[in-house]
Amino acid sequence: MLRYQPGDSLAHRLDPRTKLCFQLAFAAVAFAYTSPRGLLAVGTLGLLALAAADTNPLRVVWSYRFVMPFLLAAPAVAMLTLGPPWLVPAAAVDPALASVRNLLVIAVGGGYIRTTSVTDSRAAIQRTVPGRPGQFLGLGIELVARFLPVLRRDLLAMRDAEAARLGTDRPLGERMSTLAAVGLNRAFRRADRLSAAMQARCLSWNPTLPPLGFGWVDYPIVGLSLLLFGAAAAQVVGLAPSF
Amino acid sequence: MIRTHEVVCQYDETIAVDGVSLNIENGEYVAIVGPNGSGKTTLVRTFNGLVTPDNGRILVDGTPVEDDLVAARQAVGMVFQEPRDAFVAATIGADVAFGPHNLGLSHAEVDRRVEAALEAVALAGRDNERIDRLSGGERERVAIAGALAMEPAHLVLDEPLTGLDEPARRSVLSRLASLHAAGTSVIVVTHDLRGVIDAADRVIGMVDGRIAVDTDAATAREELAALDVYVPPETARPGQTASTPDS
Amino acid sequence: MATSTESVDLVDGTTVRNLARAALFAALVAGFSYVSFPNPLAPSIPVTLQVLGVYLAGIMLGPLWGTASIGLYLAAGAVGIPVFAGGSAGLGVLLGSPTLGYLWSYPVGAGVVGLVVHRGTDLQDYTTVGVPLLVGAMVAGTVVIYAMGTVGFAVIQNVGLVEAFSLSAVAFVPFEAVKIAAVVGILRRDAIAAVE
Repeated sequence: MLRYQPGDSLAHRLDPRTKLCFQLAFAAVAFAYTSPRGLLAVGTLGLLALAAADTNPLRVVWSYRFVMPFLLAAPAVAMLTLGPPWLVPAAAVDPALASVRNLLVIAVGGGYIRTTSVTDSRAAIQRTVPGRPGQFLGLGIELVARFLPVLRRDLLAMRDAEAARLGTDRPLGERMSTLAAVGLNRAFRRADRLSAAMQARCLSWNPTLPPLGFGWVDYPIVGLSLLLFGAAAAQVVGLAPSF
Repeated sequence: MIRTHEVVCQYDETIAVDGVSLNIENGEYVAIVGPNGSGKTTLVRTFNGLVTPDNGRILVDGTPVEDDLVAARQAVGMVFQEPRDAFVAATIGADVAFGPHNLGLSHAEVDRRVEAALEAVALAGRDNERIDRLSGGERERVAIAGALAMEPAHLVLDEPLTGLDEPARRSVLSRLASLHAAGTSVIVVTHDLRGVIDAADRVIGMVDGRIAVDTDAATAREELAALDVYVPPETARPGQTASTPDS
Repeated sequence: MATSTESVDLVDGTTVRNLARAALFAALVAGFSYVSFPNPLAPSIPVTLQVLGVYLAGIMLGPLWGTASIGLYLAAGAVGIPVFAGGSAGLGVLLGSPTLGYLWSYPVGAGVVGLVVHRGTDLQDYTTVGVPLLVGAMVAGTVVIYAMGTVGFAVIQNVGLVEAFSLSAVAFVPFEAVKIAAVVGILRRDAIAAVE
């Protein structure tokens, strides 16, 4: 799976806000130019972005393999028609282009994950979303990162214990509700302990924000993102040359 | 100084704390003991306003707790039982910085406090280690550092030794002893006095929400016999308390 | 030394508690995606508990905190915490995955379920809510989830609604009934500690 790894690639040195902005711009331009030539250009840009993040594109695609059945099935099913000639290959073209575009948009996100720590993401969110919603999202994200491994361990251990004790032939609904109920109880008990601890340490709405460095490397990428947004907008209002 | 006057706390029908008046001076080392459900955890949680009493008053350094919660929570650091769920961040340094960040301190001041707190629990320089890879004793010390980063005058610890093996108990107790020596009041809530009874100046025994025993450590042993509390044999000295209850 | 206590804007106790619960609930919903049950009808498509988590968020946390919690789940995924299907993550999933309609529908679904069960934004004791209302709320939530999911799939994959529904929904819909029954089962146990 794709995880954050410290490093010194160009993307590692970028401000997380720049990287988020680039991803949005990349998606915008990919949606605006979903044609064979357009996607060739967008795809090249995407590969460059992953290279700048020192991220292997094949690893990225592998880590998102769960979407592959959908991406492949959509054009396949679109070809089918009820009645002769039963199969219309031309009908698969647009869905297939959409699949390529979607894969590109998803994959570029992989570069962000590889190069951005949770702390930096939290800082980016709290410096972008103002006030209490920002503090809720920022702290919340840190807590999800902190407690997901713990709760996942709880759930998997319970599932295995259940299966060993009672077997796997009980009705599905019953097994689901047993597991979810125990998981909920543990999660709420942990939440209440966490809540007392955070109060004791003066959880506030206006904490010192984590530092972020917006440096000279960020300006060209922000500029590129603005260009991409501009190109996407030009296509939408019909000003762009047919691509 | 922590001063409680006729404090009563009630949960639904149960009275957890039933009229407790108590003074804890600056620099004291106090053990609060008692069986489960005797109200000791609820009582200490009134010191920093985590529990609001149904009756009575609590003054921390002369100010009613409810008048300035931020001041009370800085003055009374609290370390919880089962600190595993009390950590907000994955790494030591980020977690210890949580309190100082909430106070809005500058990055330089936060760094200074984190360094000092980790120094005080003998974890200096280990900021980037993941908390879930630590031993029980190290985890307890991280939790203590998290409280110390608020620079409290009083440190309350709820069952800090539960589940620790002997070397870990000893290392936690020796950290508490040096904090006490440096002038912090240490208040340990426990049902197990091994090690603690030799370090504490004063032992308070609670039964059914009331103070049943309040005495200096020397005379505590006989008075505590009446309570359901394990008291180690008198020969035990710090560092030599390796014997388990049944050995 | 006490520092500048008046400048610290303390989060009040009830909000801290709700915030902690919302965050842990978001982590639990993410944890649910790692626990799959073999699908008795189609062994190749495992059934996970994620949607069950969405229903429960609306019911147990209410429409506001439930929506916030599931929104937090999406935000955590967007910045790279492995909370989506198969331990995946990334803003790209929310922008370009064929399943994006489903993901974006989760906070809405939690809100709808919460609004119906609590009959508004003020929290009621959900343990006293009758089974018909609970089931009705979850059916409404399910409709929202599949409607947004299907439309999202059709738009992003450039296919028709019927094709989108048959590709993304048909294999999963039957299990929603099982999940709804499971939620009713959970709320009927007296073991749940979350009751206020």
